[in-house]
Amino acid sequence: MSQILFTLPRPWRRALAGFATCAALTSIVTPAQAVPSFARQTGMDCASCHIGSFGPQLTPAGMRFKIGGYTDTDGKSGKIPLSGMAIASFTRTAEDQEPEDNIKANNNLKLDEAALFFAGRITDSIGGFAEIGYDGIEKSVALGGIDFRFARAVDMGGSDATFGISVNNTPSIQDPFNTLPHWSFPYLSSPVAYGTGGAASFIGDGLAERVLGAVGYASYGNLYGELGSYGSLSPSLQNKLGHGRDYQRLSMGSNAYWRLAWMQDLKAQAFHVGVFGWSASVEPDRTVASPKDRYRDLGIDASYQLLGTREHVVTVNGAYVRERLTDMENEQSTLRETRLNASYYYQQTWGASLGHFATSGSDSAAATRGQMLQLDWTPFGKENARVPEGLSWANLRVGLQYWNYSRFEGVSSGASDHNTTYLFTWLSF
Amino acid sequence: MNRSCIRSRFLCGAALVALAASANAQVSGNAQANGYVQANGNARKGEDVFTTNCGECHSAREGRDKRGPSLYGMVGATAGQKAGFKYSDDLAASGIVWDAENLSRYLANPRALVPGSKMKFDGLANAQERADVIAYIATLGAH
Repeated sequence: MSQILFTLPRPWRRALAGFATCAALTSIVTPAQAVPSFARQTGMDCASCHIGSFGPQLTPAGMRFKIGGYTDTDGKSGKIPLSGMAIASFTRTAEDQEPEDNIKANNNLKLDEAALFFAGRITDSIGGFAEIGYDGIEKSVALGGIDFRFARAVDMGGSDATFGISVNNTPSIQDPFNTLPHWSFPYLSSPVAYGTGGAASFIGDGLAERVLGAVGYASYGNLYGELGSYGSLSPSLQNKLGHGRDYQRLSMGSNAYWRLAWMQDLKAQAFHVGVFGWSASVEPDRTVASPKDRYRDLGIDASYQLLGTREHVVTVNGAYVRERLTDMENEQSTLRETRLNASYYYQQTWGASLGHFATSGSDSAAATRGQMLQLDWTPFGKENARVPEGLSWANLRVGLQYWNYSRFEGVSSGASDHNTTYLFTWLSF
Repeated sequence: MNRSCIRSRFLCGAALVALAASANAQVSGNAQANGYVQANGNARKGEDVFTTNCGECHSAREGRDKRGPSLYGMVGATAGQKAGFKYSDDLAASGIVWDAENLSRYLANPRALVPGSKMKFDGLANAQERADVIAYIATLGAH
């Protein structure tokens, strides 16, 4: 075994040494009490609200907590609504890349991100989270995602209804079903590799953290709906928040985001099906008077969770988005995105996920297609977990991803050069 | 606490402990608590029902409150009186004793029994599953 280890490249050996350290730590055990601030607030385990005992994929209990405005509590006082996380990784691509600042041609061992969160309940009806993140690649600090909510539950004819409003800075951050771009699979990917390619729909993360919006939502029985609008932050404010200046302008009221879903929680299983869309008119450059680009995004999504006694958990998620862009010169183009993934978790600890991603459109250079396999281990975050001495405040996921590309940005030949192996350790507390 | 209440709780607890012992031996049988026949409650099946339906918000471990209180030692206790957990006013004032009958009624439709209950649970419609989970809860210790 040691001979095999020493034939590996040095970065692989360092990464495996990290894994060995994690494994050794878990041999010193105490009962788990383990988790970040939402879990401390509710007294619940990470596994109650998250598939596989680690965020962000939500169980029905997690969906209810989010829709309820992050306000549920175990009633005990003295909870501090602060959390943190850090992600460290090793990335190897099939072929070397062009080196960039802080990125080597290959075998990159990185602190991907470190972040602090305010995350918790403020009043009986108001709660939320806000992130300040350190980008380990750019070596910069910026305001990350925020989502603050007002929510009120009412009895309507004997059925529970919840009405709320989310004020957030990233379209789709309010998604409770993990099918829209911000929280969808893959929940983590290498910051120094290729991901799902360069082309993305407008409803995707292109506007993340550069806008502010209000989304009203309601759930009644099995129905769930959202309606909202976003406006761009000024370039100077974007810059102050750590994102640099972007002169594109989306005006509040000139765009409408909406979603309608049917969800069913049968306790042993749960599912949802839905439709969503976004229509927006955007000034490509606010410093120049010009006609606007007009985006029309329309999507369908669905999810299924087989939960049972939580010994064996199976999930399937999918979304399809069709985007039509009519640009300032009145030329039309389309973009289509498909995301499908299935996961299996054993004892809410050992996970295997397989995802398929495909982007295509009228511009052939947009086409990227492939699959991603993830294996992960989440030893804490559940009631009966055994946590190393002194680590009862933490949750941990260690995972290995392999990305396989059959087409990358319009080219099939050589697409496999982008194939990526990504080994990560994700700590939250 | 008056004597009849103490005796009632003792009898209730004793009946449910007997039920638990029976179920622990993996025997499906009948148990009677306060005149209510708990038909065929099977604690082993009840543990699965508990994990599937209750475990996110309730723990079976003593002293481990989550969004809902620990169910350890719940049977025979008076509703909403456990120290250290904040119950709804309605439940705390209900005076309900958690015998098998009241547990079954509550699990079938929590807000029908306690309209102001904070428990966000639509109810367990299947009477056999209610009997099983009550048998399981009884194994956790009676008040």
